[in-house]
Amino acid sequence: MSAHSSDHPAPAILAEVKPAVLPRRVLVENHRDFHWITDKVCGIVEGQTPVWWWWCFGVAAFVASFTVAGLTYLVATGVGVWGHANPVNWAWDIVNFVFWIGIGHAGTLISAILCLLRQKWRTSINRPAEAMTIFAVVCAAIFPVFHVGRIWFAVLPGFLFPFPNANGIWQNFRSPLEWDVFAVSTYGTVSVLFWYVGLIPDLGTMRDRFTAAGNVLRARIYGFFAMGWRGSNRAWSNYEMAYLILAGIATPLVLSVHTVVSFDFAVALIPGWHTTIFPPYFVAGAIFSGFGMVMTLMLPLRAIYRLEDVITQYHIDCMCKITLATGTMVGYAYSMEFFIAWYGANPYEGFAFINRAFGVYAWSYWIMVTCNVITPQFFWFKKVRENTTLVWILCIFVNVGMWFERFVIIATSLARDFLPSSWGYYSPSIVEIFTFFGTFGVFSVLFLLFIRFVPLMPMSEIKAVIPQADPHGSGH
Amino acid sequence: MKRKFDHSAPAQRELNGPKYWRSLDELADTPGFREHLAREFPEGASSMDGVDRRQFMRLMAASFALGGLGLAGCRRPESHILPYGKSVEYTVPGLPLYFATAMPLRKSAIPLLAETHQGRPTKLEGNPTYAPHGGASSLLAQASVLDLYDPERTTTHSKGGATLSNGQVYDILAGINKTYAGNGEGLAFLADESASPTRARLLAKLKATFPRAIWAEYEPVQDEPPIAAAQAAFGKNVKPVYRFAEAKRIVSLDADFFHAEAGALYYAREFAKGRRVSKPTDEMNRLYVAESGFSLTGSMADHRLRIASHHMLALAAALAKKVHGDGAQFDPFILNDKLDVNPQWIEQCAQDLLAHKGESLVVAGAHQPAYVHTLAYAINAKLGNIGKTIDFVAVDAPSASTITALATAIKGGTVKTLIVLGGNPAYNAPADLDFGALLKSVPDVIRFGYYDDETSALAGTHLAATHYLESWGDARTVDGTIVPVQPMILPLFNGLSEVELLARLAGEENPDAYAQVFTTIGRLTSGDTKKAFEKFLHDGLLEGSAYPVADVSLGNLNFDFSKVPAAVTLSQNNLEVRFVTDHKMDDGRFANNGWLQECPDPMTKISWDNAILVSPRLGRELGIYPAGSLLQVARVEEADFVVGKENAFIGEVTVNGRTLRGPLHIQPGLSNYTIVLPLGYGRTASGHIGTGTGFDAYAIRTSDGLGFITGAKLIKTNERTLLANTQEHWSMEGRGIVREANFEEFKETPGFVAEIGMEAETPVVLGTEGQKRPGESEQAYLARIHGGNSQAVQKSLPRGNSLYETPNFTGIHQWGMSIDLNTCIGCNACIIACQAENNIPIVGKDQVLRGREMQWIRLDRYYSDGQADAAAFGADGNKILPEDPQVSMQPMTCQHCELAPCETVCPVNATVHDEEGINVMAYNRCIGTRYCANNCPYKVRRFNFFDFNKRATDALYMGPLGHQSEMPELVKMVKNPDVTVRMRGVMEKCTYCVQRVQQAKIAQLRLAGASGEVEIPDGTVKTACQQVCPVEAIVFGNIKDENSAVSRAKAQERTYAVLGYLNIRPRTTYLGKLRNPNPHMPDYAALPLSRVEYNKKNHPAPDAGSGAKPEKSTTEHGGNG
Repeated sequence: MSAHSSDHPAPAILAEVKPAVLPRRVLVENHRDFHWITDKVCGIVEGQTPVWWWWCFGVAAFVASFTVAGLTYLVATGVGVWGHANPVNWAWDIVNFVFWIGIGHAGTLISAILCLLRQKWRTSINRPAEAMTIFAVVCAAIFPVFHVGRIWFAVLPGFLFPFPNANGIWQNFRSPLEWDVFAVSTYGTVSVLFWYVGLIPDLGTMRDRFTAAGNVLRARIYGFFAMGWRGSNRAWSNYEMAYLILAGIATPLVLSVHTVVSFDFAVALIPGWHTTIFPPYFVAGAIFSGFGMVMTLMLPLRAIYRLEDVITQYHIDCMCKITLATGTMVGYAYSMEFFIAWYGANPYEGFAFINRAFGVYAWSYWIMVTCNVITPQFFWFKKVRENTTLVWILCIFVNVGMWFERFVIIATSLARDFLPSSWGYYSPSIVEIFTFFGTFGVFSVLFLLFIRFVPLMPMSEIKAVIPQADPHGSGH
Repeated sequence: MKRKFDHSAPAQRELNGPKYWRSLDELADTPGFREHLAREFPEGASSMDGVDRRQFMRLMAASFALGGLGLAGCRRPESHILPYGKSVEYTVPGLPLYFATAMPLRKSAIPLLAETHQGRPTKLEGNPTYAPHGGASSLLAQASVLDLYDPERTTTHSKGGATLSNGQVYDILAGINKTYAGNGEGLAFLADESASPTRARLLAKLKATFPRAIWAEYEPVQDEPPIAAAQAAFGKNVKPVYRFAEAKRIVSLDADFFHAEAGALYYAREFAKGRRVSKPTDEMNRLYVAESGFSLTGSMADHRLRIASHHMLALAAALAKKVHGDGAQFDPFILNDKLDVNPQWIEQCAQDLLAHKGESLVVAGAHQPAYVHTLAYAINAKLGNIGKTIDFVAVDAPSASTITALATAIKGGTVKTLIVLGGNPAYNAPADLDFGALLKSVPDVIRFGYYDDETSALAGTHLAATHYLESWGDARTVDGTIVPVQPMILPLFNGLSEVELLARLAGEENPDAYAQVFTTIGRLTSGDTKKAFEKFLHDGLLEGSAYPVADVSLGNLNFDFSKVPAAVTLSQNNLEVRFVTDHKMDDGRFANNGWLQECPDPMTKISWDNAILVSPRLGRELGIYPAGSLLQVARVEEADFVVGKENAFIGEVTVNGRTLRGPLHIQPGLSNYTIVLPLGYGRTASGHIGTGTGFDAYAIRTSDGLGFITGAKLIKTNERTLLANTQEHWSMEGRGIVREANFEEFKETPGFVAEIGMEAETPVVLGTEGQKRPGESEQAYLARIHGGNSQAVQKSLPRGNSLYETPNFTGIHQWGMSIDLNTCIGCNACIIACQAENNIPIVGKDQVLRGREMQWIRLDRYYSDGQADAAAFGADGNKILPEDPQVSMQPMTCQHCELAPCETVCPVNATVHDEEGINVMAYNRCIGTRYCANNCPYKVRRFNFFDFNKRATDALYMGPLGHQSEMPELVKMVKNPDVTVRMRGVMEKCTYCVQRVQQAKIAQLRLAGASGEVEIPDGTVKTACQQVCPVEAIVFGNIKDENSAVSRAKAQERTYAVLGYLNIRPRTTYLGKLRNPNPHMPDYAALPLSRVEYNKKNHPAPDAGSGAKPEKSTTEHGGNG
């Protein structure tokens, strides 16, 4: 959309100031046409399974087996195989949960908020970002489910999930953990729906191509999931509306999920947890970590599948800038926490923050600050943003930093709270470490399956943002 | 022995009627059939493979009772199995019965009431009939019930590996009697001490039967002053009994009368009477303690002098000299020494004593040489305390031989048969005797013991002893009152009681223990013996049997100065070693008791181990001082902690050529060059729990230094070991957690607690203010609740317009607790009482290291030295460990917050409030998110990380594929059937003993009948911790009743809530601690050091810590050995 495309004549003032018309950056480079896009995206699914894929899959599955083994051991033996103890009753379990949930945020943000804001650059990255969201939620859900003492009850209806029962016992709706149950399950459901609805036209394309190629089995499978998509005007009209509605539903979830997750801490009274800054700070942090993860995944994919024409430097720029903005917000939140701790003059709170930065866990605090506050500042520089290797490395730092942020909040606050007599120190057990490590395998397995069997990019949407889709140049 | 059913003979009428028979066998009346009828079980049942059937039934009996099947366990000493239809008197299935008994320990005993469920003792309480204890009991008494069910106790008599039947044992005993009768040459006994009248009677008979036999007694630790000292001072066989309640000024010369002295329970209780203050006009006693270690008594001191035990004699003499005015006769003690004590300390202390003639008391530690005791008696006599604060009671002159004499006899080869009764000399005899080797040289050693221990391993014959809860006996308390030792259960295994053993050896006609005790008591009473005996058993004591108070006067003190030990100057190269009884293991006899092993030491907070305790200064000189972190934001830790685990250096102590190795632990408050070695650890043969914990301090303990010895060297090795320390941080960090004042300040500002901390208390209780008043409209009520601004309402209601509905406390009772920090001595008894009452599992050292101990109540111990820095980043004060701290103890358990933070965060409503204000746990509902534990500001919730109740206590969990060792059936028998045994994955915590509350309510409901008087009278229900507390620091009851004891306690101005500012309104509140220092003393400080720290930290004005003399540094006050 440009200022000139309106039916109405331009305001006179524009003639006076003569604003420079900056060229929009193209979203698909090298003047690629519809056919190239279809071939490129479908080719990934249709082609031979590359050797690297098998290698990656094998390694990922092996790593994922750590999680499976770790959880089996945990359930068979007891939560004591993890390193928790009084006073640190939550540690890596909830750190990992918040970490993975945070990663999931970029997907919904890209697909829903950017969709509503008509940020067209979202098109080539939204599909993998949404997939990432779903897989991250899967990894996240492992931890709160398995960290409980008696998982066999936790998963029974009537304990965590409301269910009428003869005892007339209901859940405690005042508990942030109960809110988590609803927030995360809603988020997971909506994310899956949103992702799937977006997939339908592309699944139709896949079906048609497999039909043409004579691969009946795959055509049937894709056809099943395409739900009879025929690409009619009416279908497109309904589809667009459904997509928009889902975007509308998903948008508040971007804010709500991590807000609710932050309530796990903000609602508690432990110094270092009990703070009202958490909801916005957690949301900013989640988006920050989410974009870090999106870039961590997309940059290698872009290189492997030669997708530079669709995931352009412009896309990377945009993502880097969002990372920079949210990273700076997070840094601001860190400093504001200290200010309030001082300004509030509560000695317990004051100690909690001084201890966080300079006490026994200072090492983790400074890892966090380095990774989360200093690292994104490099994105101010265009040279840095254009160096994809460097961007990728910086994004890894962001991921590490955001994991440490959760660790700092959870472990340092619990380890030294009100009564010095019960101060302690937490360190993880080997089981805990490997269980977490394994979730990267779980995530990778799912993601590898995704790139192998699902169109990696929304072909229909990318096609809509190239110039050919708008032959008359009238914007939309 | 198989039980036979007595089938009554058929009545004549039955015989005359038509005849029926069950089988042709019956008609034929074959002998086989008769046998079949009479047998309880078919033939062959008793020889089933594997488990012995009888054994199995024994073990299962309790589980059946537990399962509520109503099957009789029948462990009571009855002769026939009875169905509950023809039940034992008073038995109501499901309700416990209480019987009086007593736990003998050395020359005293603790009278007890044993709670039995279906004939199975599960919990012991103090016998309230015995006034000096007032129903209190001790840590060891509480834990002793666990020993009864120890699966590793000796279950059979054995000789050279072969099992002996009881009959064979009787034959052996009769054989000894026959062999040695009339002479006794070659026969020797080594027994532990006892004050049992029956044993004394049997001993007299033994001596008559075997006139030339040696009867030696040995106790590794002395807990009574040497009788020689009293002999020297008064010329009579007397021993002192202190009346602490009458004493306003008390001086302890190395005496830990809260723990190590016989009668500690009585003394602690009496001391608390003089300590307890409820209003500013009350009087408060003052305690001076001079000691080398850091004892519980020292922790309660108003003035504490760190001085080597070796120098105590000089100090006592110096004090005696001051008290006696000129007292030149005491000079040789002083001059021979290099006493390094501020003379003002002694001077002012003496002045204070002189100002309180007849109401002061000087007590010397039992381990101190007789000189010190004689001096103490001299001081007391001069002060006119005798007959007022100290009574001397007439006791029998000691007649037993010593272990040293016995050792000489064994070396001389004259001992042919040695009978070791109890004790464990192979482990704890003085090292110079090398008693283990001596035992091997005796041809026939018969060991009578409860465990297969170090001594049993060297004895040819081992006879299994019974637990005191399964044997008849008697004992005397510290004041001489005779108490019964009554069995609660038939011997679980083929044990023999000591009385029966001695009776058989003495050749008594009826060696039955019951008969023997009956005879003894019968001789002491007049009138109907049977009735007197029944009364004796019922009351649990024999009235008027206390030792008679002797009329004594101080004689001419002719000291033999030639035996005064040469003075030494202590230094790093010449250390003093002080041997102390461990708080839990005692002398080592409780080593296999898991509850005790896991109970943290009250001062060091170390469980499952002992440690070589060194002073901070010695620690620095040895290079074991904790480094602290770079920016010292909190006080430096007491030890090196690696990921939360104390990583202690191993040290080597050498004295007189004997060496031991053990972990080094810095203990603030020790005399600089005294190292303290707790006894009772390092057992090598004590079952799974006791073996391998700690080090054996007996290894360097010789006859010439049983209490302490100088000339030791300590070197630090570079090896390290982990210690399960349950409290990592020692400083309160200037927080208003334990609130203290000096007595003078309290008189001026009785509400001093309000001046400490952010808010002295949130509204303590909801009380009547929170209830809707009669006739009050809903609107007015809500306005009052949410917007009311009268002070009373503000005090009782949440601030602000809380969104959350305030729990509606509509119950008839509103439970609350008040804990008086001023009388709490930190003895840990409440921890074990709670563990016994509430089926709390032990978790093992490995899990304690991880911080997963399960005890529901803990004793927080804080040191303060007045050095806290206001600077956040570690000024100098943060980098030092106090050398001479004040100690503040605080029992901490669930506070039952009315607005409980744990409840709001539980997603499944597993922890909720009942209408009587108890924060209850629904274990069945808990899924174990542990959020409640995180959100608990007191960190008192405990999580079952593993199935602690299902694994053997020493076994680390082996994982799903490992060997799943279940808890032995025997150990299950100790569980209280009224309390759920929690499984893994469940959170648990203090419930205010809700099972006792419910039982009392049910009982009251029954009593009330139609009258509707369902309110429980005050004092009916006591929590386990309250019941055991010797100093009555814990008061529990209905706070809705304004006249209840707890309401009266809470009404005191010293009441405050810990962390009250959080607006969580805990139902448990504390009464601020008071200290009563003497303003004339050189180490006087106007404010307690914790207050100085608080002021420095929170009000860092120039006059911060006003009242504290800044020059009174952490290093020395008075002097130091």
